[in-house]
Amino acid sequence: MSSKEIHKTAGSDKIPNRQKFAYGLGSIVNNLLGGAIGYMSIVLNVGLGINPALVGTLQAIPRLTDALTDPVMGYISDNTRSRYGRRRPYIFVGAIFVGLVFALMWQLPGGYSEMFYFWFFLIGSIIFYLFYTMFATPWVALGYELTSDYHERTRLMGVMNFMGQFAWITLPWFYAFMENDRFFSDSVQGARTLAIIIGVFVAVVGIMPAIFTRERFVAQDKGAKVKNKLLEGLKKNIALFFKGLLITLKRVEFLKLCSGTFFLFNGIMLVGAFSSYITIFYVCGGDKSMGAYYMGLFGTVTTISTLAAIAAVTWISSRIGKRKTFIIATAIMFFGSLLKWFCYDPMVPWKVIIPAPFIAVGMGALFTLMGSMIADVCDLDELETGERREGMFGSIYWWMVKLGMALAFGLSGFLLNGTGFVVDFGGAQTSSTFFWMRVVDVGIPAIGALIAIFSVASFKITEERSYEIRSELEKRRSKSISIEKIAPST
Amino acid sequence: MKKRFLVKTRIVKQLSALLLTALLAVISGCGDSDADSEGTNDKETIVITMIAKSSANPVFISAKTGAIKTAEALTEKYSKLKVVIDWQNPENESASEQAEIIRNVVKNGTKAIIVSCSDEDTLTQAINYAVDNGVEVMTFDSDAPNSKRFAFYGPDDLEMGKTLMNELADLINSKGKIAILGGNKMANNLQERVKGIMTAAADYPDIEIVGAYYHPETEADAIAVISEVMKLNPELKGWAMVGSWAFFGEKLKRIIDPGKIKIVAVDALPMQLEYIEKNYVQVLLGQPTFTWGEISVKTVIDKIYFNKKVEEIIRLKTIPVTIENLGGWSRQLKAWGYKDVPEKYLVM
Repeated sequence: MSSKEIHKTAGSDKIPNRQKFAYGLGSIVNNLLGGAIGYMSIVLNVGLGINPALVGTLQAIPRLTDALTDPVMGYISDNTRSRYGRRRPYIFVGAIFVGLVFALMWQLPGGYSEMFYFWFFLIGSIIFYLFYTMFATPWVALGYELTSDYHERTRLMGVMNFMGQFAWITLPWFYAFMENDRFFSDSVQGARTLAIIIGVFVAVVGIMPAIFTRERFVAQDKGAKVKNKLLEGLKKNIALFFKGLLITLKRVEFLKLCSGTFFLFNGIMLVGAFSSYITIFYVCGGDKSMGAYYMGLFGTVTTISTLAAIAAVTWISSRIGKRKTFIIATAIMFFGSLLKWFCYDPMVPWKVIIPAPFIAVGMGALFTLMGSMIADVCDLDELETGERREGMFGSIYWWMVKLGMALAFGLSGFLLNGTGFVVDFGGAQTSSTFFWMRVVDVGIPAIGALIAIFSVASFKITEERSYEIRSELEKRRSKSISIEKIAPST
Repeated sequence: MKKRFLVKTRIVKQLSALLLTALLAVISGCGDSDADSEGTNDKETIVITMIAKSSANPVFISAKTGAIKTAEALTEKYSKLKVVIDWQNPENESASEQAEIIRNVVKNGTKAIIVSCSDEDTLTQAINYAVDNGVEVMTFDSDAPNSKRFAFYGPDDLEMGKTLMNELADLINSKGKIAILGGNKMANNLQERVKGIMTAAADYPDIEIVGAYYHPETEADAIAVISEVMKLNPELKGWAMVGSWAFFGEKLKRIIDPGKIKIVAVDALPMQLEYIEKNYVQVLLGQPTFTWGEISVKTVIDKIYFNKKVEEIIRLKTIPVTIENLGGWSRQLKAWGYKDVPEKYLVM
């Protein structure tokens, strides 16, 4: 295919808009669940007086359990054979239960000890994350297999990422909602009500992908020999699980995507707090209300730019391919990160918003293109192993993202201390403290962007290679079906 | 079998659509009731009278900014609360005028008073009068500890004196003769600072305090004392100044060689910043005077509106200002409402 020729998606490969929308609803639920605990946890400290260190522990422990449950769920989902598919039953049941558990875990009764709340919330969190995994892992995997088309995958991920942004727009309002004295006597009561609203929303909207989407690989399994029944033998399943895990972790193209995401995303996450501190204490001289205004403005510009960037990236990628689009978008983000150095100006505070659109381009591209590229890796994996393991790939990828986020949050405090920041000094930090804060804020995301470009630059599944893989897989599948027709399984 | 499954699927889809519609209806319904409650909602107005020592003293500019900004933020945050700041002060420092203001505002129905006391004895009576008439009183900056005020927000003067001594000891390598500029000998807070310096000096055996010198609180009197002491002690290594009277004008520059004698002093107002820049003074202990207004207003609202238990003594933390954080401190001063911060410091 010539480089100027634009591939047209075949009708049979197109995902109906209704299905794209339904899948996108899952993204809102997924992001809402992922962010809600973090945004609501302030109530544990402010409302119930739990020590901030314990609140941090409450958020860290589930990350460790995720390390096991995510790949296990991926394995279970990949190996499930039912007439409803291998993803949709889990999405359906998971959404209902995760909504229920979320609503219940915030019904914290008043007048108990700090340790009572700690254990109550910890047990609630662990159960919550189990059901969250049950919902999210098959939902992520479902996205990788809804179409075989190289570009349609990007369009699906574009819709998913676009819709998912609406959760991120809502989350920062949670605290204001819980604290609103028009509705609630205190933030704890606010958290109880908000959790019920979120729980109902999650249960109702979260089941939409299960109801309105169609799995591509269900039909293929009909009548086929069941490979591994889950309870057939625990030992056998564990061995297969670790074998699958190892194969996944050895898939070089997958590791390139993981590395790109890890450094790009966590570079931004690691210095997330720095931008706020620099804006409030350096640019606005310690005026918190002025700083909050500019941070709000920065957030609004970022959101609008991200939505626009997702649409643009989806379109451009169908012209020049995913890898090139990713590299260009990340280079724009690199430029935006460097621009920050010149835009932190105490004499002209509004300049802080200038880098926002450039940084948003990189973030908008990241989860749109990565999802689509992982789907391409799943095809390559099937070609080489004969198995479709979207669940395993998706779970490891997202666990890596979540772990990176947890690490970034944990490290950012140390990094801030390392610059010499003294909270009691407010805006009167030393010049060297402000200098290092700015170096970190500009340098880490910029270096992260460069590593991401370097990692993805050698990604081998180009558009042409993707068509070759697909063609070979289709040949193999049709051959397998005709063999089965001749000799049906007994 | 397949037909039954399709029927079931259709029912589930219809139910889902219904649920989604219901959810949207609930959300829209909530919006309506919210609008209704907004319309009938009456805000309770709390007027807080804040009384500074005088309009001539610039440190109260930022206290006023802090009080007003905090009142606005509280009003915005709580739908049923409106906080109004009634700012009052005598033109020149006068305890009797402050007492008169207190009596007048009590009659005018203020809900609470926050006052920086020019004189403890005179203000104690006025504060007790206000409290006896149902008006809660809090003090800031200068306290009246024997009055019925419920809280005081200000620095720990003893600790401030110790910090001055420790900073000066660092500058002179814990060795040599130093002097203390003590201001008004009758002012309790200044005396506490001098006491703090003396206490901390005990930890430095090679430092000798040649004396603590008191004077009326004007630039001319401060400069006269400094000149005299330096003539008598030519080998003097440093000054610990418990107030900033010597920096109210330009006279200090005529009698001190920059960097030759080390100086640490209390307060870091815009007019003093040049002394840091040109190395006449090495450390100024800045008071975040914005928080006089911010913390005091929040404390009063916690006490009288939320009925929370508040600490009786709330300590203000001082910030050492040096050439290293001159830029940051200058921007902070500007954010606190000072208009006369030189631009060259804002970009440091």
